[in-house]
Amino acid sequence: MPGVTGDAALLNKRKRTSADRRPSKRARSESIEADGQAQILLLENEIFEAKKNYNNIAKLIKIFKDDKGDADNLVVAAVSLCRVFVRLMASGDMVRRRGSTEKEVVVIKWLKERYTEYKSSLLVLLSEDGLESTALTLCMRLLKSEGEHLLSGQEYSFPGSFLSEIVQILVGPESSEAARAEFGGKYVEEYDDIRYYTFKALKSIPRGYQLPSDRSIFDHSIEILTAAESVPESKEELEDFYISAPKKKTHELYSLAQHKNRAQEAWLALMDMDMDKEQRKLILGAMTTSVAPWFMKPELLMDFLTDSYNAGGSTSLLALSGVFYLIQERNLDYPSFYRKLYSLLDSGILHSKHRSRFFRLLDTFLSSTHLPVALVASFLKRLSRLALNATPSGAIPVIPWIYNLLKKHPTCTFMIHRVTRDLEAKEILENHGLTDPFLMDEEDPMETHAIDSSLWEIVMLQDHVHPNLATLAKIISEQFTKHAYNLEDFLDHSYSTLLDADLSKEVKKSPAIEFEIPKKIFTKHDVGSEVEDSLLVRLVDFS
Amino acid sequence: MPPSQLKRLKASLREQGILRPQESKKQKKQKTQNGGNKDKRVNRTEALNSIRDQFNPFEYKWSKAPRFDATSVKNPGGKESKGSIVGRPSVRKSMDAQQFQMNQLARIENRRRVGGILDRRFGENDPTMAPEEKMLERFTLEKQSRHKHSMFDLEDDNEMELTHMGQSLSLDAPAIVDDFDEEIEVSDAEDHLSDGGPRKRRRLSSDEESEDGESGEDRPEKKKSKHEVMREVIAKSKLHKYERQAAKDDDDDLRETIDKETSSIHALLQGMGRRPVAASTSDIAGMNPDRAALLNGTDKLQAEKEYDKRLRQLAQDTRAKPTERSKTEQEIVEDKAKVQKDREEKTQRRMQGLPESSDEEEVSQASGKLEEDDEEENPFGLGIPIQKLASDMGVEDEDDFLIDNDLVASDSEIESAEDTSSDDGSEESGEEDDDAEFLQGILTEAESKQSEFLTGANSQVPSLIRISKCPESHEELLDMTEDVNDFPEFIKLIRTKYHPKFGVDNKTKLGGFTISLIDHLSYLANRKAQFSVLESIIRHIHSLAKNGYQFEISNRFRYHLKVIHESRPMALTAGDLVLLTAIGTIFPTSDHFHQVVTPAILTISRYLGLKIPQKLSDYAVGAYLCTLCLQYQRQSKRYVPEVMNFIENTLCVVAPSELSKHPGHFPYHVPKESFRIEMAIETVRRLSFSDCLPQESGQEELKAVLLETNLKLLEAAADLWSGKAAFFEVFEPGLVIIQHLSGKKCKPNLSPSTQTSVAKLIQKLTLLLQQAQLSRRPLELHHHRPLAIKMAIPKFEESYNPDKHYDPNPDRTEASKLKKELKRERKGAIRDLRKDAKAVAREALKQKKAKDEAYEKKYKRLVAEIQGEEGREAKAYEREKEWRKKGRK
Repeated sequence: MPGVTGDAALLNKRKRTSADRRPSKRARSESIEADGQAQILLLENEIFEAKKNYNNIAKLIKIFKDDKGDADNLVVAAVSLCRVFVRLMASGDMVRRRGSTEKEVVVIKWLKERYTEYKSSLLVLLSEDGLESTALTLCMRLLKSEGEHLLSGQEYSFPGSFLSEIVQILVGPESSEAARAEFGGKYVEEYDDIRYYTFKALKSIPRGYQLPSDRSIFDHSIEILTAAESVPESKEELEDFYISAPKKKTHELYSLAQHKNRAQEAWLALMDMDMDKEQRKLILGAMTTSVAPWFMKPELLMDFLTDSYNAGGSTSLLALSGVFYLIQERNLDYPSFYRKLYSLLDSGILHSKHRSRFFRLLDTFLSSTHLPVALVASFLKRLSRLALNATPSGAIPVIPWIYNLLKKHPTCTFMIHRVTRDLEAKEILENHGLTDPFLMDEEDPMETHAIDSSLWEIVMLQDHVHPNLATLAKIISEQFTKHAYNLEDFLDHSYSTLLDADLSKEVKKSPAIEFEIPKKIFTKHDVGSEVEDSLLVRLVDFS
Repeated sequence: MPPSQLKRLKASLREQGILRPQESKKQKKQKTQNGGNKDKRVNRTEALNSIRDQFNPFEYKWSKAPRFDATSVKNPGGKESKGSIVGRPSVRKSMDAQQFQMNQLARIENRRRVGGILDRRFGENDPTMAPEEKMLERFTLEKQSRHKHSMFDLEDDNEMELTHMGQSLSLDAPAIVDDFDEEIEVSDAEDHLSDGGPRKRRRLSSDEESEDGESGEDRPEKKKSKHEVMREVIAKSKLHKYERQAAKDDDDDLRETIDKETSSIHALLQGMGRRPVAASTSDIAGMNPDRAALLNGTDKLQAEKEYDKRLRQLAQDTRAKPTERSKTEQEIVEDKAKVQKDREEKTQRRMQGLPESSDEEEVSQASGKLEEDDEEENPFGLGIPIQKLASDMGVEDEDDFLIDNDLVASDSEIESAEDTSSDDGSEESGEEDDDAEFLQGILTEAESKQSEFLTGANSQVPSLIRISKCPESHEELLDMTEDVNDFPEFIKLIRTKYHPKFGVDNKTKLGGFTISLIDHLSYLANRKAQFSVLESIIRHIHSLAKNGYQFEISNRFRYHLKVIHESRPMALTAGDLVLLTAIGTIFPTSDHFHQVVTPAILTISRYLGLKIPQKLSDYAVGAYLCTLCLQYQRQSKRYVPEVMNFIENTLCVVAPSELSKHPGHFPYHVPKESFRIEMAIETVRRLSFSDCLPQESGQEELKAVLLETNLKLLEAAADLWSGKAAFFEVFEPGLVIIQHLSGKKCKPNLSPSTQTSVAKLIQKLTLLLQQAQLSRRPLELHHHRPLAIKMAIPKFEESYNPDKHYDPNPDRTEASKLKKELKRERKGAIRDLRKDAKAVAREALKQKKAKDEAYEKKYKRLVAEIQGEEGREAKAYEREKEWRKKGRK
């Protein structure tokens, strides 16, 4: 139905003339539904004409509530009711004035009851499929006029209760995804006051619901919370208000600290809830972008982060960035940070999907030139050892990373070039060979003796089956003329990107063909012939 | 008031000691005795010169004294200096005038003159030269013009000489003696120095001398002067020259005689007598008589006939040409060996990622960029296209062979219609053995399988297969082969019938057929066809690839890989496995980069690396792919980490009991259901291709098979990568796993054969690891030449001169140098012009003066003449008057 959104838009502009003209237009385009909708519009117009027709409101609400059969009529009724209430509020007919008569008071009371009735059914509509967007727009529209006109004596009042009702519906288990996304993107992220009161509402919700088995509230809350990405940095940025801003300059909405406090409370309330591993990862993933910046006291995150960091596996990987944020911003002293970091280098790291993220951080952590060489060498050796069993996509970033570190810590180049000058040592080497002094199982990166070892693994990777990786690995044995490689170029590769790169290219040059046509491929050679069977034939039985 | 010039001159003369009081005789004597006389004279002239200078201050131009002595190089000591004399303007002026007189005056005077004779004789107009000098000059000039040739020019001696009264006027030969004969022998002897030259020469010369009867043998040998030696050399070369000329003359004579006979030879060659040349044509010189005849149109008809005849002759000539000599067996073997060696070299080069042939090598430094690497390291297509290469080297061409054979068998019409080209025949004979075998193999397979192929419903004889058209897509192929049971025979027939040589568009048709064959390969494999059929299809595809369809084939394989990549990277079908196997045989898997093989390896390693096996068949597919991978790398021995990961993972999963701690760093995937071997099986069969397909039965047996296969794979991998740098790290975890397998917990559940193979493998791996450890050395990767440190310190100039430019930029230096030169030249040119103008003006003035003077003289003379005459007349008048007066009286 094309009219609905148009209606909403026109409604915002409050153009009476266009509202009057609409029936004829609609009658032309939609002759079938014209009846019900024309009736609704007629009722609406009557309300505006005289006070005695206020009873039409009840009729409209009835249509809105009852008319389950025709969704279009329902929407039209909702829209016209919204118009009616907005106009009533704007004209001041719903506010009790000092000189109002008893009869008027009764009318106002009745109107307010109808209004509440309308709101509650509108909120139900919020979680309905297909209508949620209209319902949300109407809700927010009502919220705005309520905040602007239904001032109960004070100078500024935000209809917090109505907003928290909306938020409760949105967070609820059966709320719709689209409405939440729209609310997050259009209102929470855009308007400072809506964000402020949403945080406030969210803080109370988890406690109110307190249903540990219900995971959806948690996920939905995170969704709304993470929508508020742009953290204001100064007071001046607090200027986008949905409802006309309070006149008093000392109002709490103007205080950055208050905003941050609300956000912090909302997040902390969320973290108090029980969460499983996935949810924890979800929070950790958003940590540096939309959680930590909101916190007045990021120290409050410390427990959460250290717990996550100690959890091991991918949770630790994700917590790493949060911990780093705290170290960087709040001077957090994490005991044996590098030891913990070193322990993260396990067999899964190069196969993990978070490896790019980890590499970016690792690059930062090891970029200091003041680190002990033994420590850096341990990281180098361990990662190159892991690269031996890694996929090409995992091994690709390791090599430029090693290059950069070797360049930064020239003492470590002993790991790629160590000439034995001592004659005795040389003789021992000749006779007994060399056992790798590196201790893979040692947990302390200072004690692994990696600096005494060599990076044979990288030499092996120079013979890797993937031509690009093999060529890349050769940079370690070339002269180190380049200052540093940009690690970003090598991250985020995968089998499919490598395959895409290979297969998307046209074959321009004539492809080489094996010269000899083998006599046998799947079957064994005759006993008499001297040709040896291929490995395939020896191992697999094709019959 | 300063003293007068004269007084000053006297004073300075006295000062210098030139004027001095008269010396007594005694004093003079004393001085001469001391030898100071000569000294005195020198001093005297010097002193006089300086005095002269002093009294003519405007005769000299002085250079400016430097402003600060310290900044000047010329006078670094800081001594006060006035500058130095840099020019003598008056002298210069007079010299210029003289120069002008000599060079320009004549030119200026002759400026508007036309015609005349230029006298170029030496010094003809020079009165300063004596006649003798002139003659001398002429003589030297003539000599010089003679000698301007190269000093090695031997011709000059033969030229005319100036003679006087029959005697040479040459400088170096006092008498003309032809010493030709006697010196040849000497020089000849010199030629043979090696065989006792000196002695021989001595004897020879002594012989001559004795003949002359001049002196005995005891006369000491005279050492030759340089002049003599030179003369000998010249004489010798003259002799050589003469000989050469004589030989050439002989040759010319011979050629002339042969040339005379050319016409008859022509006639012989053309098989007919030379036509008598038409008289009318003889006047057109330099034109082919035939052509001339044609032009003249006298006998057009005859000429055309002639033309046809010659054309036919020409055609027959080529046919009658002798074929190339057939090679001996040894030569054939050598050629083969050479071709083989060439091939291997190329493979090696490709393996290292270099261009195929060395002369096309463009050394491109491998840069860090992966994307760039791809482009640069793609060494293919640079070289000679494979097809051309093959035919050039005379290698087998199954295509041609197939045709010939099949033609004999089936269709005699085509055979008789067109004779096969000769090169076909030669190639066939060259590689007959291979082809015969290839064909034979197909035939026998075809015959043996014909009854049971596919459905087995038909029992048609192969030759009865009807071929209506060439299938160009897989659908068409399927339609046509519905009732064909001998597929290899069908392919052969298609390839015969639609051979590119038999039709214009057969090439594209066969290309389409090739593509459909590849599709059919995977189609058949998915329908569990006979592997012998698949094998022959693969071999046919391979042969087609070698015969010019490499683009179609590789593109089709790449298309299939793309389909796998996009739709089922983790669920490979039997068809995909067969395609991957086919890629491994058709394309060189050892190449550093190959358009088909590299994506194929990536597809395999993607499955091995990312697949989390859920069923036993997944493990079987993995084992198959590992085998393929190892086979791909049989030559280049490149490391494939995924293979090791998969083998170790499978071993851990299948092992009868769990390892306490997983060694190594391969990702260990715990399967949902346990695949541990629970009981031993008596005999373990080989892994079968059908195991790769998901199935329900025989699970327990398959576990044992997988274990056994993976053990073999581990062994093969260890063999393959035994020399690698990190062999120890790669295979140590494998050893730990196998040792676990031989432990108490696992052993009872293994079959006896597996137990023995485990034990063997443990032994082998231990040995290999030991070797690896023994041969391990610290890395020494950076034995590079150290890089020069860029200099940033300014250069210190030892003897710095502020006037000089020390610009490190050579371009700028050059430019400033040029600028300076230009300025100088410009100044010089202006000065010259001015000087000339001045000289011209001076000359003009001089001439004008002379003219004026002449005029004045003439005027005066005339006036004087007239005055004289008048005076005389007046006197005569006076006299007359006097006389009359007297007379009257």
